[in-house]
Amino acid sequence: MTAYMTDIWKLRNFWMALVRNDLRNRYRRSLLGLGWSLLQPIAMTAVLCLVFSNLFDGISIREFAPILFSGLTFWAFIVAAMNQGCQSFFQGESYIRQHRIPLAIYPLRTVLGAGYHFLVSLVVVIGFVWIMKGFGNVPALFGLIPGLLLLFVFAWSMAICTATLNVLFHDTSHLLEIVLQILFYLTPIMYPPKLLQEKNLGWVLQWNPLTTLIGLIRQPLLEDTLPSANTLMASLAITVASVLLAAILLRWCERRLVFHL
Amino acid sequence: MNAIELNDVSLHFRVRRHGRTSLKDYLLHGLLRRGESNIIEVKALQQIDLKVAQGERLGILGHNGAGKSTLLKLLAGVYPPTSGTRRVTGRVSSLFDISLGFEHEASGWDNIRYRSYLQGETPRSVDARLNAIAEFSELGEHLDMPVRYYSSGMLVRLAFSVATAIEPEILIIDEVLSAGDHSFQAKARVRMRSLISSAQAVVVVSHDMDSLRQICNRLVWLDHGHLRMIGEPNEVIAAYLRSMQGDAQPMAA
Repeated sequence: MTAYMTDIWKLRNFWMALVRNDLRNRYRRSLLGLGWSLLQPIAMTAVLCLVFSNLFDGISIREFAPILFSGLTFWAFIVAAMNQGCQSFFQGESYIRQHRIPLAIYPLRTVLGAGYHFLVSLVVVIGFVWIMKGFGNVPALFGLIPGLLLLFVFAWSMAICTATLNVLFHDTSHLLEIVLQILFYLTPIMYPPKLLQEKNLGWVLQWNPLTTLIGLIRQPLLEDTLPSANTLMASLAITVASVLLAAILLRWCERRLVFHL
Repeated sequence: MNAIELNDVSLHFRVRRHGRTSLKDYLLHGLLRRGESNIIEVKALQQIDLKVAQGERLGILGHNGAGKSTLLKLLAGVYPPTSGTRRVTGRVSSLFDISLGFEHEASGWDNIRYRSYLQGETPRSVDARLNAIAEFSELGEHLDMPVRYYSSGMLVRLAFSVATAIEPEILIIDEVLSAGDHSFQAKARVRMRSLISSAQAVVVVSHDMDSLRQICNRLVWLDHGHLRMIGEPNEVIAAYLRSMQGDAQPMAA
């Protein structure tokens, strides 16, 4: 695995150039550039705030809107990594057919692109939270850094998995859409986590790794604390598991994948 | 030392009769334990033993579908052998499918960079070569345009210019390239010659007997995935042509 990572690092000029190219295309095409892609979570937040803040008693908009916005931003990254990840080998098909280089490079390209966008959105979220309720403990924001690193590795691993499965089975992306849709409701994105806990449905959240991962973002951002040791350890375990899954999948069929493209 | 060694290499792959498998079908078949009728196994290469020494120029000939391109891709490392071992000592540069693999929204300049990086170069080493590559391609100010607007001839020029800009150790070529218009072809041929003479080992597939005779010191004749003959170019070509006539006569009769 070290040799594999070294190979990837040696080719950094290649994939970093492609990522830059992707980002340039993404942001150059639209008149407002970045604006459009940020508009979606902002609009969603606004609408959902209107609707749900009336449904959920005992929670003010000032508190609810940051929960929503941070959740939707987190979710947009996960979805982008996995959905676009699906296509990453097909996108790199012509390179794959000519050169023997580590296949993990292609999902990496996708996730770096999505990750960049995630970081930009996160800056907007931070500004938003600051306006809505301010930060009691600014240094806690640095607690985002380990979480972001873990999230990035997790997303890369998952993108490798979806990309591989999508080459082997053409309905992977459809299936993934459904799975993500379901997960969206099983993850405390649109609602405060304590809502389910009060209704004795806490176990749903407990067994959902995304609940843990979302804590990496929300604890520093909304609760003014560093991520708790619990959250960090659990996230680390989840990330390691995802890396193992990706590594096993690649070891099993990386070399043969070219026949299925 | 041998630059390339293949020991008892076979390559089989599975092709689907129609479309790609869906997870749904896969699970259904798995549950019902029905045979996978959708899959055909292609034996593209069978028990190939091949050694290419340093300094050798090996040519491959054979009918369409004999496995020539598959063998090249296996040598380049794109295809893994199903069984047997492949050992290649040295950096491989491959010239096949070169007109594929462009970032269509990016300019010609950017694409030169991407491809060079893919071949393991650094920004600094590309900078040093950039102008020479551009000049050789003769694309001039078209290089500022997104590659999307290029004609296929222009794409080949660009690809060829980049791919041949670095001196390869082991060179793998599919068909002696017919790149671009007449004047460019002449230029490309000259460059190809110089690459071939500077590379430590060359493997080339071609249907052009004359160029095979000129370039190669040894020829391999592939027939339905089998290595049918290997030896001195004139002998192999003669045997190959004889068999072609032998095949043709009964049909004419």
